Amino acid sequence: MSAGSGPGPGPGLSSGFGKALVIITGASRGFGRALALSVAPRLSAGSVLVISARSEDRLLELKRDLGHGDPGITVRCVVADLGCKAGVESLITETRDSATDPGIQTLLLVNNAASLGDVSRRCRDFTDVCEVDSYLSLNVSSALCVTAGVLRSVPGRPGLTRVVLNISSLCALRPFPSWVLYCSGKAARDMMFRVLAEEEPDLRVLNYAPGPLDTDMQLQARSSSADDALRNTFSVMHANGQLLTCEQSVSKLMKVLLEDTYPSGAHLDYYDL
Amino acid sequence: MLGFRRGCFEKVCVSSHGTIRGRVPRGLWKEQEQLETPVKRQLPPPGPSSTFLPPHTHTLDPSHTFWIVPFKKISPSFDSQTSQAFFPKRPIMEDLISREPRDLGRALCIITGASKGYGRALAFQLSCRLKPRSVLVLVARSTAQLNELKEDIVSLCGQNKLDVRCVQADLEETEGVEKTVQALKETNSTEMDHVLLINNAASLGDVSRFAQSFTDPAEVNRYLSLNVSGALSLTAGVLQAFPRRLGLRRTVVNISSLCALKPFPSWVLYCTGKAARDMMFRVLAEEEPDVRVLSYAPGPLDTDMQLQARRFSGDLNLRRSFCSMFSEHQLLSCEESGSKLIKLLLDNNFPSGAHLDFYEL
Repeated sequence: MSAGSGPGPGPGLSSGFGKALVIITGASRGFGRALALSVAPRLSAGSVLVISARSEDRLLELKRDLGHGDPGITVRCVVADLGCKAGVESLITETRDSATDPGIQTLLLVNNAASLGDVSRRCRDFTDVCEVDSYLSLNVSSALCVTAGVLRSVPGRPGLTRVVLNISSLCALRPFPSWVLYCSGKAARDMMFRVLAEEEPDLRVLNYAPGPLDTDMQLQARSSSADDALRNTFSVMHANGQLLTCEQSVSKLMKVLLEDTYPSGAHLDYYDL
Repeated sequence: MLGFRRGCFEKVCVSSHGTIRGRVPRGLWKEQEQLETPVKRQLPPPGPSSTFLPPHTHTLDPSHTFWIVPFKKISPSFDSQTSQAFFPKRPIMEDLISREPRDLGRALCIITGASKGYGRALAFQLSCRLKPRSVLVLVARSTAQLNELKEDIVSLCGQNKLDVRCVQADLEETEGVEKTVQALKETNSTEMDHVLLINNAASLGDVSRFAQSFTDPAEVNRYLSLNVSGALSLTAGVLQAFPRRLGLRRTVVNISSLCALKPFPSWVLYCTGKAARDMMFRVLAEEEPDVRVLSYAPGPLDTDMQLQARRFSGDLNLRRSFCSMFSEHQLLSCEESGSKLIKLLLDNNFPSGAHLDFYEL
């Protein structure tokens, strides 16, 4: 169990998060889903796991799969489109309603929901402000607003470790041709969470780049990227079995979170660890 | 009746005694020292920051045309901003930037956020660097300020040399971006050898608040719409309106900031927006090898935005730093910073997509 609610890394969360409130966005598929399945067994009885996505069917399916494990945890589904204000608000409301237990030891918010954007087009094609706005609304604004709302709903106190995770990417650091929306969004998010880490020294903030995962997003990348070289690279990675499974990447992330020694605000990549 | 020409930096008023008042940026004051003119003898040299210029009055000789470059208050104890100065007729502007004859070609030059601060200063400085029959397009929300700026530039350059156009537009909106691009299409661009876009328009956002307080997506969306989406869409529109062709140089500048690289407490929107922009323009540089892309961080400028920073920043340490920079006269004039940007553009050997900071150059 962690006593780390002072500045800097805590003494470690040992093998689990204790009694926790965990929120995972984009939980219906891919990395979010794998993360939910990996986190659940590490939660003590009385924990609440809030899973959010747009697809109600998939969330219910995930809830069923989670139920096969420890029944001591409560799983709440929030069907929401975080690209809309109503979606953001409903997730924050559900979090507030779930944060009733004064004895939780860990708050873990995973900002995972994201989209690739239209990678078949280049910078010069994005002449419509509304289209770019819409992309940023989901990928940047909602991450900030959900984080703000959740932190206000679960204020800091001794004995509570609050962890804010941003699922980042190499794209936050390096530009990729035909990926302007995704790269800009990820760069924006990384900075956002670095500012948060500066402002709130008692928070544990991590920008985690999970590596190239074998997901629907990756499929989109290798089939739609306008840049030939990039599309080729993705196809080759897929063909050569170089893509990571979500479980592989989640596993490294879990280790990092539980060791709890990362500098708050850091950007860590799967391949660094 | 005294005639005068308004200076490039501040509006001045002329009293019935022929005295003039205003403020001058510190950078200009340094340049004055280098000028071998009688002016040097008439004005006391700049001392350390603790000294101040006493107010003095000069009568303007009506047979001369004067460039009026007023003085900045250089000590907080000096209450009255009534230092004055005058100069004999000289193209001060060109001397400021450099003494070499290079120019930016027969250009279509677009500056957003041109009505004040850095954009305004750049408009003046760039106007002197464009070949005759260039077109300078100034974009901002304030028609009045744009028109005034246009008048000043035209009187500086001469009516026939530079075609100055004003576009009143809010770049947060698609209509604003479209209106701007449409105005550009209406210029005769076949003779142009350079299209130069300066993405300068920006806002600080509410720096009195911390990240945890931004729970309203509408507020964050609005901020990103101006500072990120607007810049991308306008750039896209310009590149489409002026596609790649032999003999046409295309340059896109992003006015960036240290905030694109470093997080500052209570500045989440501004840092996030600047980080997004820098990445955006790096991607652009990757995609368009013929376009010269530059993210230029101008340093801490003495503008309205800086005033906002030192008055409102929620983080006390940060606010103190800004106040201290101001009172210790460490702020840069827009002109000083603008000169460096223009030199970069004239030298034209920066790596496309690079982030360059005033203090690195």
